[in-house]
Amino acid sequence: MNVPWLTLVIVIPVGAALLLQVVPRNLTAAVKGVTLLATAAVAVIVGVLVAMLPHTVGSDQPLTFHYEETHAWIPGIGASYHLGLDGLSAWLLALNAGVFLLGALAVSRRSTERLRFYCTLLLLTEAATAGVLLAADLLLFYLFWEGMLVPLYFLLSNYGGEKRGPATLKFILYTVAGSLLMLLSIIWLYVNSGARSFDLETLITSSGPAQAVIVIPGIHVPTFTPQELVFIGFALAFAIKLPLVPFHTWLPDLYEACPPAALVFFAGIVSKLGAYGFIRFGLTLFPEPVNHFKWFLAGVAVLSIIYGALMALSERDIKRIVAYASISHLGFVALGIFSLTQNGVNGSIIQMINHGIIISALFLIVGFIEARTGTRDRRQIAGLERRMPWLYAFFLVATLAALGMPGMNGFVGEFTIMLGAFQLNWVYAVLAGGGVVLACWYMLRLHQGLMHGPPAALVERVRDIRMGEGLLLAPLAALMIFLGVYPRPVGDLARPAVTQYVARATGTPVLPAVYS
Amino acid sequence: MLAQAVPIVPLVTPSAKDLLGLLPELILGGGFVVLMLLDLVVPARRRAWLAAFAFLFIAASFGACMWGWFDSGSGRALYFGSIAYDKYAMFINAVLLISAALVVIISPQYLNRRGLHYGEYYALILAATTGMMLLAGAMSLMVIFLAIELLSVSLYILSGFSRHEERSQEAALKYLLLGGFASGFLLFGMALVYGETGHTQLQQIEAALRVSTNVDPLLLAGVILIFIGLAFKASLVPFHTWTPDVYQGAPTSVTTFMSVATKVAAFAVMVRVFTYTFPAVYAHWQAIVFLVAIASMLVGNIAALTQTSVKRMLAYSGIAQAGYILIGVAVSPSEPLGTIGVLYYLAAYAVTNIGAFAVITVMAGRGEDLDSYAGLRGLAYRRPYVAAAMGLFLLSLGGFPPTAGFFGKFFVFAAAIKSGQTSLALWGIATSAVSVFYYLRVALLMYQRPAADQPEYQWSRSTFGGSAVLLATTAGTLVLGILVTLVYSAAAAAQGALLPVAAG
Repeated sequence: MNVPWLTLVIVIPVGAALLLQVVPRNLTAAVKGVTLLATAAVAVIVGVLVAMLPHTVGSDQPLTFHYEETHAWIPGIGASYHLGLDGLSAWLLALNAGVFLLGALAVSRRSTERLRFYCTLLLLTEAATAGVLLAADLLLFYLFWEGMLVPLYFLLSNYGGEKRGPATLKFILYTVAGSLLMLLSIIWLYVNSGARSFDLETLITSSGPAQAVIVIPGIHVPTFTPQELVFIGFALAFAIKLPLVPFHTWLPDLYEACPPAALVFFAGIVSKLGAYGFIRFGLTLFPEPVNHFKWFLAGVAVLSIIYGALMALSERDIKRIVAYASISHLGFVALGIFSLTQNGVNGSIIQMINHGIIISALFLIVGFIEARTGTRDRRQIAGLERRMPWLYAFFLVATLAALGMPGMNGFVGEFTIMLGAFQLNWVYAVLAGGGVVLACWYMLRLHQGLMHGPPAALVERVRDIRMGEGLLLAPLAALMIFLGVYPRPVGDLARPAVTQYVARATGTPVLPAVYS
Repeated sequence: MLAQAVPIVPLVTPSAKDLLGLLPELILGGGFVVLMLLDLVVPARRRAWLAAFAFLFIAASFGACMWGWFDSGSGRALYFGSIAYDKYAMFINAVLLISAALVVIISPQYLNRRGLHYGEYYALILAATTGMMLLAGAMSLMVIFLAIELLSVSLYILSGFSRHEERSQEAALKYLLLGGFASGFLLFGMALVYGETGHTQLQQIEAALRVSTNVDPLLLAGVILIFIGLAFKASLVPFHTWTPDVYQGAPTSVTTFMSVATKVAAFAVMVRVFTYTFPAVYAHWQAIVFLVAIASMLVGNIAALTQTSVKRMLAYSGIAQAGYILIGVAVSPSEPLGTIGVLYYLAAYAVTNIGAFAVITVMAGRGEDLDSYAGLRGLAYRRPYVAAAMGLFLLSLGGFPPTAGFFGKFFVFAAAIKSGQTSLALWGIATSAVSVFYYLRVALLMYQRPAADQPEYQWSRSTFGGSAVLLATTAGTLVLGILVTLVYSAAAAAQGALLPVAAG
């Protein structure tokens, strides 16, 4: 029997969310059980799919999808229900399944009121983000991309800190403005492709978008071709989601207001989707505009790296420090993509996975510290090492991974990206290297400040993390070390797909990969 | 051009086939008479029976519509070209009848609670719906005018239905006076068009315009005046000023009906008249429709930002939605996606907006409307399902996938880009982003805990009928947002068989 595995990845969370509505609200154990079961089932399916994913790419198609499912959706306008998994999305899908499983584990009755509603939203978010990663049809992709905001909106506006209202609104307005421009661009592509289809593969191969020089009436911007304008529409949506400086201002506010349990999957996967969109759609649909803008875009990425790092240095709120560190790390991801080299893009994918693991762990740790000390001001906390030896150990691993210590997973991605950046231009690599130095500075200062020295007054009665909390952090820490010494699984799976993407974007034989 | 001599049509009685083509309207018109008589015998306590009868008539009419959908084939004109019997009219009729049915189901509970349960309510709803259905099929300027008057007069009465409430009376008077003006504009425009072309029937007007080479300013004046008359009914800027006051003042169940059905009927006739009868002078009316669309999107969305009454917010949101729908009219008449977009948007708007108003109607407490934002605060804690449904409707109005509203917007924007009017789509996008703010503000409010010192609004318990309507509109909002092809293919078929063009 031909099982629609990819559909199951989307449908299981939705089904579980519907099932939760008939579970009595007070039975928190049952609510949590259903949520855990659904996320675990998805994780198992995704794990098997990724493990069995063929490493081959077809030479005759622009992209190579596996486990493909295609059904007519709106035949009248050529939109189809087309799902597919390839080397680019495979590990991201695994990360997606992982962070949501972790998110389901992290939620507890004590920390979250109205647990059933929370779990429903968590499951719906998982379905939407999985859909974003699997959709191979532009309209379907947009449906998931924008639909993702619905559960996220309710999640953020209902749970979280005191400033959640304005922060949520800022996030939604930013992303909606970006996505609506992307919608315009999608429609423009559809209208002008000649293929009258929203299918990604069809749009890439149809001669339309590559050559069409149709002036958009009403817009007379002489310096841009229509295709470049359309790319800008996509790029803005992805740059806001990623986020790249100067579209980043929603992120620190939102991360500050977001409940720690939700940050695990919010910071873990949602921000990666912007980078994923750049690779999946930017590189394939707009090879010329990407090439045209790559100097500028790589410059913006470097700016994000430096700016994020400097802001992390200047903050006192530990949650905001990690948020700015996240901006800095995602700048690396963007730099790798826009270097348009095989190393760079491959490094970006590795960095996305690694960053997802590191940032989830860091936010969990920050959440534990805040719950115990009641503050997020880094100057009021000191000497946690003695009170919380287990947390200290995990935090040390995460800190070293975050600052890119060789032997930890953060190093692999950053190093590969730097190679790509060098192939683009050595200036970018040197500037990005400055970001790594700054990362050492703010991460070590944070770690030392919180952990060492005589215990501060707030720390006197603090207890170490419980067994359950440690079990959340342990797999993350293990992965940080494992992927640091043996990063091949991620790199190998992604490389064939990356070769395809980069060849399409540059239109030239790709430079040989240095990293292997 | 000079008025040609009008050939004298020999007076013959229309055939039985013509009569059969009007079956949906006839059933509903008959229902109006029967309900007026029934009201005399049904005891005052049992007025809910009238609702049941009204529902039966609507259901029968809907059945006739379904039969007409298949029977009409590629469409033909009835009564010597005065009425269109085509899939387009049947599509609109179906939307109107479903809207009317949903309103009739939620009405008894609301009217009882407000002490407004008078028998003629249902008869008037049927009369207004009959007028709207006639409007959807109208192919002669005379029928258009008669149908508009039939629906308007019924709505004037309905909006003043709360007899002891000043605000309702004010609403009725305002609607009546401004509506009278609008009818005047419409009639004057029709007279000018008749004077220029010598015809009242759309088929012949279209043919006359097609062959004429020069365009007379008086003809254009007539076209513009007709547009003004219809724009008033569709509450487009700058003919929208009555909308917030009337929507707020009228009983909520009436507002539910009015906000959806009037707009559907007005746009139905606007498409038939402008896109398919006046395409020859498209270059001349395009700019005005274009500007009105942009003005409606801007004014509606910006004014809605500052509202603190749910009904007024939805009124301004309705003005903005009308602006989006008008995009489908403003695009080139040769672009079928424009009309398909209008049809899809109307269906999506109908389910969503009825759903949103139905929440306000169903939750209304005894003797007072649920109107202020404060009344919705904390709804999610007490009525989680109703709040979730309302949240879905607000998201649909804001155009979030996977809901109906997204695809309504998607199709009209696609039509605009396809016919080279990207700036219209850009305006639509920019204002949509603004609209998200006020829709989500209300959604957020429902999920906020009520303040400790704040008296909670006494929400009513939802009855079986109310729950059924909320369930149906929720399902409809999701179906139109996911299983798009169901309604899309119907809309495409309706566009393909649209008179007067299809008949040639």
